[in-house]
Amino acid sequence: MTKTAATRAKLVAVDGVEAPALLAAAKAALAASTPREPAARGGISRWDASGIFQDLEVAEEEAGAASARTLLLLYAADLAFRLRWQIRPALAEGRTVVAAPYVDTAIAFGRAAGLPLNWLANLFRFAPRAGARVVVPAGAAPATAAKDGFVGFASGHLNGGNDPRARQRLITQTAAILARTPPAPRRRRSPRARS
Amino acid sequence: MSLSDQAALQRARKLARRRFADPTRGLLVAFEGPDGSGKTTQRKLFKTWLKSEGYDVVTTKWNSSALIKPIIKSRKAVRALSPEEFSLLHGADFRHRVEQVILPALWDGKLVIADRFLFTGLARDVARGLDLDWVLRLYQPLLWPDLVFYFAVSPVTSGKRVTATRMPSFYEAGQDVTDVDDPVESYQRFIARVIREYESLALIFNFITVDAEQSIAEQHRQIRDLFLDGKRRPWSRWNLDAVAEWLSLNGARR
Repeated sequence: MTKTAATRAKLVAVDGVEAPALLAAAKAALAASTPREPAARGGISRWDASGIFQDLEVAEEEAGAASARTLLLLYAADLAFRLRWQIRPALAEGRTVVAAPYVDTAIAFGRAAGLPLNWLANLFRFAPRAGARVVVPAGAAPATAAKDGFVGFASGHLNGGNDPRARQRLITQTAAILARTPPAPRRRRSPRARS
Repeated sequence: MSLSDQAALQRARKLARRRFADPTRGLLVAFEGPDGSGKTTQRKLFKTWLKSEGYDVVTTKWNSSALIKPIIKSRKAVRALSPEEFSLLHGADFRHRVEQVILPALWDGKLVIADRFLFTGLARDVARGLDLDWVLRLYQPLLWPDLVFYFAVSPVTSGKRVTATRMPSFYEAGQDVTDVDDPVESYQRFIARVIREYESLALIFNFITVDAEQSIAEQHRQIRDLFLDGKRRPWSRWNLDAVAEWLSLNGARR
């Protein structure tokens, strides 16, 4: 990577619970980050690029439902995949890449599901901090708009799809926690051991 | 967390504490060790003996969650996993089995034999270059077995036993991290690292070490004796969080 490319490379985190609004914000963030250099746009890294959740969707019901912890371990595995194949290669080429959603959405979901913050922070320690962050505020009906995103999927999965009110409550709580998440990026240390 | 959620968790902790003190609670026995250490043979013999003694036995194996195993299997087949993805997916598989198989059986007073437990994840992931603290915390809230039998063999014995009948698979041989093309040579290097990690864990977590270079009959006799001596240990207090969280997932209805 040239010095210029390294300087230009940027990771933008776009977090939120509503899938369509998240995508629109990601497109806007990408365009805004490189207005005069469309060639420097690396693209948008979206949830479930690895297909893990697609596989989960077709699992037999007898396999048993996943808890919030299990879903977040899977989200982290998917994010590790996105970092390896989408985000890091784009950054290495000096491009801007938008991760939508990134870490904060998952942490907010975990908090809404009652998981401790220190466990969540450790889980995502492998993810580099973003150079810029956008939180997409939830609209009037977040549960409906969340349908195709991680939070919508995970909230529905937790309740086995049988309790729409519990699902709605979880989505609303996630959006509220996300809105309160401070903009200062957390300091992260790679889980790769020092040799 | 809402007030009603907190109240549910408090109720669950109270229930879990009561169950700890109950002599009819289940027992969790883990069999750990490198490939080729003979632990599966011993696990089967142990299970047969326990059943003859009247125990209600449930077995759970590493990487066997009905929900997660297919996800891991398809990605292993195309050699698509980084060390972090490998670690996180096995952590998800473990968590799912804890919630769906292990804790329900223990709550019902059964004896659970785990053919590999979270220490397998720790040893392999650290051998792949990941930080022990990060990996250990993935497995929180920790569920601590009543007994951990560690089947100790040398890297040479493990290599001989594994390669006598088959070629080690790509990840089993650690080829994702050794960069060695020959699976046998890669296995020898990787298993030496895994065994080194196991030996550290055995000291830190106080495993019961079984000399797996002994005869099958000698090992089995030793395991029976150790089980009879050790099975009445009190449960680790660390288990309270794991049990309470599982109970609250189930609405503390049990």
